[in-house]
Amino acid sequence: MMNYFPDEVLEHVFDFVTSHRDRNAVSLVCKLWYRVERFSRQRVFIGNCYAISPERLIARFPGVKALTLKGKPHFADFNLVPQDWGGYVQPWIEALARSRIGLEELRLKRMVVSDESLDVLSRSFTNFKSLVLVSCEGFTTDGLAAIAANCWFLRELDLQENEIEEKKNDWLGCFPDSCTSLVSLNFACLKEVNLAALERLVARNPNLKSLKLNGAVTLEALQRILMRAPQLVDLGTGSFVLDRDPNDSETYKKLRATILQCRSIRNLSGFLKVTPRCLPAIYPICLNLTYLNLSYAAGIHGSELIKLIRLCGKLQRLWILDCIEDKGLEVVASTCKDLQELRVFPSDPFGAGHTAVTETGLVAISSGCPKLNSLLYLCQQMTNAALIAVAKNCPNFIRFRLCIRDPAKPDPVTMQPLDEGFGAIVQSSKRLRRLSLSGLLTDRVLLYIGKYAEQLEMLSIAFAGESDKGMLYVLNGCKKLRKLEIRDSPFGDMALLRDVGKYETMRSLWMSSCDVTLGGCKTLAKKMPRLNVEIINENDQIKFAHEDSQKVEKMYLYRTLVWPRDDAPEFVWTLEKLLFTPGVLLEDQWSSLTN
Amino acid sequence: MGITSEQHSSASSIDSSSDPCAAAATSSSSFCPPIQGNNSARIDLSTDLRLGLSISSSYYNDLFPTPTTTTRVQPLSWPPIRSILRSAHLDKALDHKQSSLFIKIYMEGIPIGRKLNLFAQDGYDSLITTIAHMFPTTILCPGADRVHSDKYHVLTYEDKEGDWMMVGDVPWEMFLNNVKRLKITRADRC
Repeated sequence: MMNYFPDEVLEHVFDFVTSHRDRNAVSLVCKLWYRVERFSRQRVFIGNCYAISPERLIARFPGVKALTLKGKPHFADFNLVPQDWGGYVQPWIEALARSRIGLEELRLKRMVVSDESLDVLSRSFTNFKSLVLVSCEGFTTDGLAAIAANCWFLRELDLQENEIEEKKNDWLGCFPDSCTSLVSLNFACLKEVNLAALERLVARNPNLKSLKLNGAVTLEALQRILMRAPQLVDLGTGSFVLDRDPNDSETYKKLRATILQCRSIRNLSGFLKVTPRCLPAIYPICLNLTYLNLSYAAGIHGSELIKLIRLCGKLQRLWILDCIEDKGLEVVASTCKDLQELRVFPSDPFGAGHTAVTETGLVAISSGCPKLNSLLYLCQQMTNAALIAVAKNCPNFIRFRLCIRDPAKPDPVTMQPLDEGFGAIVQSSKRLRRLSLSGLLTDRVLLYIGKYAEQLEMLSIAFAGESDKGMLYVLNGCKKLRKLEIRDSPFGDMALLRDVGKYETMRSLWMSSCDVTLGGCKTLAKKMPRLNVEIINENDQIKFAHEDSQKVEKMYLYRTLVWPRDDAPEFVWTLEKLLFTPGVLLEDQWSSLTN
Repeated sequence: MGITSEQHSSASSIDSSSDPCAAAATSSSSFCPPIQGNNSARIDLSTDLRLGLSISSSYYNDLFPTPTTTTRVQPLSWPPIRSILRSAHLDKALDHKQSSLFIKIYMEGIPIGRKLNLFAQDGYDSLITTIAHMFPTTILCPGADRVHSDKYHVLTYEDKEGDWMMVGDVPWEMFLNNVKRLKITRADRC
């Protein structure tokens, strides 16, 4: 029946299909739908920039307006991927610039971005509106200056946790006076800023809803900025420091009054430096907050922190340091009844002292906050009993990441592995999509995961398992698995090679400090034409190339239609194939490759 | 396989009387600061902590000797938190918020230089290895017999005082505090 509708009707119907997975599914129905979908697709998500080439993207989706690209593997966040591994955005920007694509939004994660890329980006797309860079590197404030100066309709510039070299230029001052369209600005990861230019910018951008400042923005400047932007919904403070008694300070009094005018703030973060006595100024905001991020606020702890939390009755997402301690988590549990997401980070990652949160805090949260569905918890220890209780109290986990500070630490009460505890979590949370394991774990937990975690898409394994069987339980059982990352676990060639077809159903597999050998990896690479098998070999092992029995320190494999990548550095070896036909692109591969 | 808390604290306590030289030696740095007395030992340890280098890898080594693999321990890869968050808290005491230290490095005869992140290296060995990937030459290790030849190169650096020095004479942490840029010079010029 749908075949009798004109294309415009189909297109209109497809407009309601927004998720990229659904659109991929739509495109597989028939040739007509494929064609209409292809020309009308505006938002494209590419989970691995090496899975496909920019030319193919442009050929298939000439109407693309918003592109998301991800580069380095996740473990790059933890320094496991060497500098210069890759993930360059330059070829993408160059190809898009050469084409007639009217790019408006670009979102990059873990990619290497150069000033030149930013410059070309800023000058090639007249309607460019939004740039979001997450955990990227390779650029300086010169690149930011180009974006500011040339993107006349910029709405969003969001820099999250990037490594940016700061030059002595005033990039913020490069926004022209005619720039009045900003909605979101985040430069919290920079150290410096031109305060005067910032204040003028905020004053002329009345649609600004999200503003995240850096440590160079003083309390005085914050007050002036908030005066100009009472409409903010999302605020990241900079330096919340006063060098005198707040009661004696005009600035502080003004700040309190100004904050009372900011009735729309629902998300609060920052406090990179803080004088705790100034915190009462933000108490009025706390009542309506739904997201509070204090993961950089090492200066807020103890009773000050508790006082703050007690006011946040509507909180849905909380990111906090472990100086909150178990007692503080009990306060969270009794106050934040709507809590859905909790992340607890270590305030002292390499310290000799105890980590202040344990299983007690987590159990308290689970019993007070039954809506909890997303957890990241770095703690000192965990017990099976606690995990079983958490599983019972909170059956709605979508993301569950637990990291016990000592790798491979058992349940301290029973000295048993934590298999049963994690088993309870995967059995009770039927919608679990992401899981990170830690503590002492045998193959048993992997058996449970393979058996129960039917919706699992991403799994991180560290210092776990006993044999190849463990890895096989996961590969055989988790049908929806997309990303598997394993470090320091005893899985070898037998597990790697048992079901090579599985890897084409996944985005990527990372294995480091495991037992896979060079020979095993070579075999895999030869068998699978559409997988890129990379060996990352930083130690200068000259003999390495000839000894197939040699264990591989780091292996990263991913499905791709572009093999080999031509920008791999010397220490990344892309293993050879027997047969490769790059020209053949089956349409159903697109959806699998870009998910 | 459980690690007791006593082992844990002796491996990584800043205030313990455990030998900081031993802590430094288990990292790949082969240059150990001489112990001149308790005070300088503490300073060395706090420098280590601030730079997040030697202490973290020794912590890891003592805590979990890898039985199955014989590979070099990756510093700063555990606990799994991002570098930026990691360094933000490491440095809070000293108000020194740098998670990377990019310096310029030139090779004699090549006009275009490169940039190198010194904080991503964990010692002189790692530095030489990284540089060997970036430039087409053999760099003589510090301490090796000097060969006066134009085929080999040595690594030199400019320090805070503007002087050009041979890389490798001082402890790694001290080098990091003083280096401004690097240069690969022909061995026969030294």
